Amino acid sequence: MIEITTPDVSWIAILPELVLALGAVGVLLVEVQWKPATRVLGAISAITLVIAIFFTFLQWAQAGDALEVGGLDELVAFSGMIVMDGFAVFGRFVLLVMAGLGLLAGWRLVERLNRRGAEAIALVLLATTGFSIMVASNNLVMMFLGLEIGSISLYILAGLTEEKTKADEAAMKYFLLGSFASAIFVYGVALLYAGTGQLEILAIRQFFTEFIVTRPAVILIGLALIIVGLGFKVSAAPFHSWAPDVYQGAPSGVVGYMAAMAKIAGFLAMARILLTAVPQLDDSWLPVIAGISALSMLVGSTIALVQSDVRRLLAYSGVAHAGFILTGIVGGATTGMLFYVTVYSIQLIGAFAVVAVVSGPSSSGSSIDEYRGLARRSPALGAAFAVLLLGMAGLPLTSGFVAKFGVFSEAWANGYGWLVIVALLASVISFAFYLRVIVAMYMEETEEEGIVVSLAARWVLTIAVAGTVLAGILPAPLIDLAADAFPL
Amino acid sequence: MLTWLIALPVIAAAIVALVPGRVKELHLPLGVALAVLPLALAGYVFWVFEPIAGYQFVQQAVWYEPWGISWSLGIDGVSMPMVLLTAILVPIALAASTSITRRTKEFVVYTLLLEAGMIGVFLALDLFLFFVFFEAILIPMYFIIGIWGSDRRIYAAMKFFIFTAFGSAVLLAGIIALAVTYADQFGSASFALSDLMNVQLSTGAERWLFAAFALAFAIKVPLFPVHTWLPDAHTEAPTAGSVLLAAVLLKLGTYGLLRFNLSLFPEASVDAAWIMGTLAVIGIIYGAVVAIVQPDLKRLVAYSSVSHLGFIVLGTFALTSGSLQGAVIQNVNHGLVTGALFLLVGMIYERRHTKQISEFGGLQKVMPVFAGFFLFMIFASIGLPGLNGFVGEFLILIGSYSTLPALAIVAAIGVVLAAIYMLWAYERVFTGVPDKEENAALSDLSIREISLLAPLAILVLVIGLYPNILLDKIAPSTEAVLDHIEEQTEFVRPEPGRLGDVLVAGGDHE
Repeated sequence: MIEITTPDVSWIAILPELVLALGAVGVLLVEVQWKPATRVLGAISAITLVIAIFFTFLQWAQAGDALEVGGLDELVAFSGMIVMDGFAVFGRFVLLVMAGLGLLAGWRLVERLNRRGAEAIALVLLATTGFSIMVASNNLVMMFLGLEIGSISLYILAGLTEEKTKADEAAMKYFLLGSFASAIFVYGVALLYAGTGQLEILAIRQFFTEFIVTRPAVILIGLALIIVGLGFKVSAAPFHSWAPDVYQGAPSGVVGYMAAMAKIAGFLAMARILLTAVPQLDDSWLPVIAGISALSMLVGSTIALVQSDVRRLLAYSGVAHAGFILTGIVGGATTGMLFYVTVYSIQLIGAFAVVAVVSGPSSSGSSIDEYRGLARRSPALGAAFAVLLLGMAGLPLTSGFVAKFGVFSEAWANGYGWLVIVALLASVISFAFYLRVIVAMYMEETEEEGIVVSLAARWVLTIAVAGTVLAGILPAPLIDLAADAFPL
Repeated sequence: MLTWLIALPVIAAAIVALVPGRVKELHLPLGVALAVLPLALAGYVFWVFEPIAGYQFVQQAVWYEPWGISWSLGIDGVSMPMVLLTAILVPIALAASTSITRRTKEFVVYTLLLEAGMIGVFLALDLFLFFVFFEAILIPMYFIIGIWGSDRRIYAAMKFFIFTAFGSAVLLAGIIALAVTYADQFGSASFALSDLMNVQLSTGAERWLFAAFALAFAIKVPLFPVHTWLPDAHTEAPTAGSVLLAAVLLKLGTYGLLRFNLSLFPEASVDAAWIMGTLAVIGIIYGAVVAIVQPDLKRLVAYSSVSHLGFIVLGTFALTSGSLQGAVIQNVNHGLVTGALFLLVGMIYERRHTKQISEFGGLQKVMPVFAGFFLFMIFASIGLPGLNGFVGEFLILIGSYSTLPALAIVAAIGVVLAAIYMLWAYERVFTGVPDKEENAALSDLSIREISLLAPLAILVLVIGLYPNILLDKIAPSTEAVLDHIEEQTEFVRPEPGRLGDVLVAGGDHE
């Protein structure tokens, strides 16, 4: 009898993704077969996410054990494609939580889509799968696959509502520019491969510790293209011009989710490549990242000043935040950056949940005038939005302050004092536009009467506000977690 | 115990916030009643406060170990008077806000949160914690100006916020730089003031950091030329906002200069003393001259603040025993007097709905009690002997003369100018015959209003007649600041030390 030796597959490394993908397929099949109420589909997706989150806990424990015995090899699975280090697990966990919050925030939209609601849910789960693979990949091609799975799902989500031409325009723009950026990314991967002969991130690092590259031009060009590609995904200046249009045009129920997902995965991938694969080249890339960071902060916060649409404002504030998060990478550490990405994503989803309440879940555009007197129309909603905006502005006692403090300290300690000063100036500029929204909500009057906040939105906002305040006052647990979640 | 000083106003704010919005008339009285609790506690702290150097009632709890931040509070002779002043003024400012009929609950909540923040700033011994309070204060103040202010309130609120936030940003850069240097030198992170005082800085770095801290605090004071936000904020803010802004928020700047700049950067402080002194004196003269020509009573008081705060900064950087004590006690004096003046302006505004000096005239006849209080506070403000303003300015001027003689002489002109703008304003508002109909019909102060002003007037008199009630408790701490500077630099403070000695020694020299 012939014995077939099956390769030893460490399934646990991709269990969350498996669950997510199965959940997405499940949602679609159940919809086709039974056409159940949307609530049932929501329950399926919720169970999927909970199971996936449960597996990240298992992974976290296993990663910790493996590190203690020093068995790094155990953490690399699928012949070097997937890595299960703390960084990946933390990233997955955050993505999954944000997916849950995002679904909750967009629930009104899902309900309104009727029979197409299942598509939206499945797309959210698929996008999460893709980005989850992206943060966990140890291979640049795998990373590209994850990026594409995630991005393509997002392009469709952006144009989900059929009646809105603005949404179609946004989706089209996002798709064209996004696939262009993906192409640039993959070309960068190719050049990096040409220069080093390696696709695996850990192998590339090995390559640089063993060899001294005398003519690194190809590698550097590859790296630059990778930075451009990922810079697009996280909407860092000067690759940000899609963001305001997409944020404005896409249905408000999904914008927060879209933005948060792309940012989390993009930054984690960037940090993994720069800090794990090519730390030896930091003389070359640190100034570039610092430049992009400074430009993003200044461009984002100054252009946001003149926006009259809250979504465009949040988009430009997102550009500024991309700059702030990059200061963490300039700091050469991942702790501050992970913390920042986490708390910012929560604020972002919360903020767009407010937008969805104020302008309707499938709306495009959200003029600042619509926010007049919001604090009187619904004190709780106004207060929630105010807290989230102040959190984004980085006022003390909110998570935003701790996050900024963390990345700025790292950057300063790494010798980039000038960047910190630019960042602080940009923060001051950014106060002005966050305050404009607060002015509208609290200091201007309107004839409009009360506003209905759906139960799902209330949940999202409660979690987002509680998270923002809690992580601002007692940041220790989250920072500790982020500190443990370093990449291999 | 010090934690309770911060927690009580927060708890009070929470209680007020939980009272349903229907019982509108309950919010303000409840707020006032609850604001008396921190006052009682602050009074107790004052009572048991030992006149020794160093911090008392120190409390420490680790906040986040790896970053070296901690919840660490303490009180000394520099901060104690400020805490007491804050606790006294908040209930008075609240009680004076009966004219606020719109969104009263929010107003009370913001004011109480503001109190917690202000007390926190004075108590914090950890720079991170200090910064948290320093910046967190902006939010309630921003709302107070922006919601309940007058016509240009949004502009004023924004200007206030952006100016001070800019200062805070610079301060944060300085704090981060200092902490990173500490971590480099000592191998562990800490933001504690006592730790950071040990950092060895190169002259260049020390000067940069001094400049960063000084800029942040100068904006808060406000020192010339970064004072432009102040008249707008004051003029537009509601009465309670103006009172707290002038009496306490501005003091965050002078307090910061004394507490942080002098202790953390002694070398640079000695070197930059004449620069800071010059800016202060420019502020004194400039504020006074601009105040003379103000047509708006509230703006006049605002500019007088610029002038008076200049004295405090001058005293701080003159680095003598007398001038430092004078600076600390003048913090309190200015708070009491300017607070009272803003209250008075608010009271007349409620009656006449104008603050234009030209609209008034002859009020003495129709409102004798009001005029009496006004004149009393004006005298305190211009430093009439026997009232508190005299003690502070006299100490500052005498003290500064030995180290910055030229500046002290110029500053003395400011005292004369103060007499001009204050008395001239009094003359135009109160003397003569009430020729306008509206003025003739004005009612004098009610019992409630008198009971708000009387405590302030009594304190003005008490400090004026027996300044040692505060000076005894202030002196050891200011001496400690000077001791530290002498240890770290070649600076030697000129004798003599205390107020009594000043007078005696002054006689000896002649």
